[in-house]
Amino acid sequence: MNRQEYQNYVEQNSPKSPMWRTLVAAFLVGGAICCVGEGVKDVLSLVFKDMPEKTLAIYESCIMIFLGSFFTALGLYDKLGHYAGGGSIIPITGFANSVVSPAMEYNREGVFFGICAKMFVIAGPIIVFGVAASFLVGVIYCFAV
Amino acid sequence: MRTFKLKNPVYIASGFTIVGPKEGDGNFGDCFDVVLHDDLWREKSYEKCESKMHRDAISGAIKKAGLRREDVDVLLGGDLLNELSSTSLAARNFPSAFLGLYNACSTFSEAMMIGSMLIDGGFIRYATCSTSSHYSTAERQYRFPLELGNQRPPTAQWTVTGAGATLLSAVKPANFNHAVSEDDVVFVNESLNLDPKDVEKYKKDIEKKREVINLEKSNIAKENYSRTMNDYAAPYTHAVRVTGGTMGRVIDLGIDDEANMGAVMAPAVCSTLITHFDKSKTSPSDYDGIFTGDLGRFGKETLEYMMSKEGITLPAYYMDTGASYFTPEQKTFQGGSGAGCISTAFNGYILKKLQRGELKRVLVAATGALLSKDTPLQKETIPGISHLFTVESEAY
Repeated sequence: MNRQEYQNYVEQNSPKSPMWRTLVAAFLVGGAICCVGEGVKDVLSLVFKDMPEKTLAIYESCIMIFLGSFFTALGLYDKLGHYAGGGSIIPITGFANSVVSPAMEYNREGVFFGICAKMFVIAGPIIVFGVAASFLVGVIYCFAV
Repeated sequence: MRTFKLKNPVYIASGFTIVGPKEGDGNFGDCFDVVLHDDLWREKSYEKCESKMHRDAISGAIKKAGLRREDVDVLLGGDLLNELSSTSLAARNFPSAFLGLYNACSTFSEAMMIGSMLIDGGFIRYATCSTSSHYSTAERQYRFPLELGNQRPPTAQWTVTGAGATLLSAVKPANFNHAVSEDDVVFVNESLNLDPKDVEKYKKDIEKKREVINLEKSNIAKENYSRTMNDYAAPYTHAVRVTGGTMGRVIDLGIDDEANMGAVMAPAVCSTLITHFDKSKTSPSDYDGIFTGDLGRFGKETLEYMMSKEGITLPAYYMDTGASYFTPEQKTFQGGSGAGCISTAFNGYILKKLQRGELKRVLVAATGALLSKDTPLQKETIPGISHLFTVESEAY
């Protein structure tokens, strides 16, 4: 069996992810997380009646980040992730999970070289791209206006 | 010459296994010597736990064979962590020489081959061969943090939490277990002319201590001694000998998917098996047990397909210990993997079957995928390797 033959065999015969099951699960769980977010915003707008929309959105994000971190710390968010995949990774709770989980994992190497150094191992690229993109948009905006 | 045959008898004196809770619920659950209640074993980190499992597996094997630590000449072993940290840290507890080995998950058969060659050559009398792996340490080193909510692909395997040790010996081992008699006898010398009150007090004291120890034991481990596969009091009917083996070649057929280890390792096993059958002039039907390390369910299918293309049909009793390690309900997808997979399955299941004479001539091929965390990122493909050793049992 030569190299190419073998690679073709492996590609054709490896077990594949069940596409429909994972898509439906991701859609339902992702939608549910966003619904919770909207619910949080509605409750906030009831409690703080004269808060502007922008500030409400900021507070909402903060609460969702807290919930994501909290359920990561309880060890529940990864179980949700095994089932939902992208549905729980894409929302902001997933971002919180990707920062808190390495922080918990490297806790044993100490505060400085463990938690602080390794915290952004997974979320690092997202932050770099986020900062770079906002900088680029800012430059374009500066010239356009 | 990759295939060798030992001239002098090399016996397997004992084997000892310690596994985590998930492995204890798996298919080989009743074969292991110790099944832990939690995979931290009261340590501060998973790495410390793995090292402790490794240490206690080695000393368990030494004790089971009725030897002392000083009797063992060389410790051969390895694990999956960087710089073999858990094995090296375990080896500092022993007065013996230490050779650290790394061939990923096939380290165990590498250790068995080297150990039996050293004994065959008359350089040493006793050697231990041990490997360990831990799900949580391997995940952290090769993949993602434990709490990260990502999905495992369907080709993924579950790293076995466990450590297994085999004690090789140049002399034929006795056919009963030393571990029981040493541990459980409270020795009071009657001829010392002691006051009966003192003796009574002493016995009560011992009883109290034993209660504490038993409580402690039940906290860390499930009682596995009473199960039929693990009957410590029953004498062995057969002595087990290592007879030969084949050293593996590194094979790379260009698979770069680090989540599909079965496909990486299958060509290496295929090459080693074909070389072995060819050079030792045997066929699969000469063995009544053929075991491969941790190919997983897909890897096993691939190997069977590749072998059939070469004109060799693997018999129905061929077993991949990785694919058979966990039950389908445990959701490990392809089954177990890791350096601890074959070593715990060999010492827990295969060796005990040999010692009871249920298997006569067995071929064990452990398999390994040689990658680090960085090589796939640097667009390297993953090579595989497989070493093979054969064991036979003979009646006492």
